[in-house]
Amino acid sequence: MEGTGGGFRKDLVSKLLRLHFTDSKTKVSGDALWLMAELLTIFVVETAVRSVRQAQAEDLALVDVDQLEKVLPQLLLDF
Amino acid sequence: EQQRFSYRQRLKAAVHYTVGCLCEEVASDREMPFSKQTIAAISELTFRQCETFAKDLEMFARHAKRSTINTEDVKLLARRSNSLLKYITEKNEELTQFNTEQ
Repeated sequence: MEGTGGGFRKDLVSKLLRLHFTDSKTKVSGDALWLMAELLTIFVVETAVRSVRQAQAEDLALVDVDQLEKVLPQLLLDF
Repeated sequence: EQQRFSYRQRLKAAVHYTVGCLCEEVASDREMPFSKQTIAAISELTFRQCETFAKDLEMFARHAKRSTINTEDVKLLARRSNSLLKYITEKNEELTQFNTEQ
């Protein structure tokens, strides 16, 4: 069972997490990795969609960093 | 030290690639393109967010006296938003069902 189309790959998620574990004994189950890949994909898509909505509200034709900055505080409260 | 740095850069590049693909999908769906800088910023944000996620997951597992992170820990990570928690719980059930069918 692979994740959503263009989403995060399990092996990448595993490497990203292991970069930050403080205990070398910490492991991640395969199912947890798969679910984390889903969560990271949702995180990115949600960020993108909220930025698009902000750009639409401002009547712009392109999403720029300013729009991302405006949606960032609430986004980080939700994750 | 140099090797550690380049490993990080490679992971960042992989994140950037995935974020690029996902943003491309959203952009064509909503007919609203992203500037290159915005995609780079979302990649950087995602890479940094992984640090918080990893440390939280490790602590949740340790709190339950486990050294292996499982799906319960991931669900706990998604607790802040009701719709996110619902989605992750549904995905988890799909996964359990898939596993039992195998």
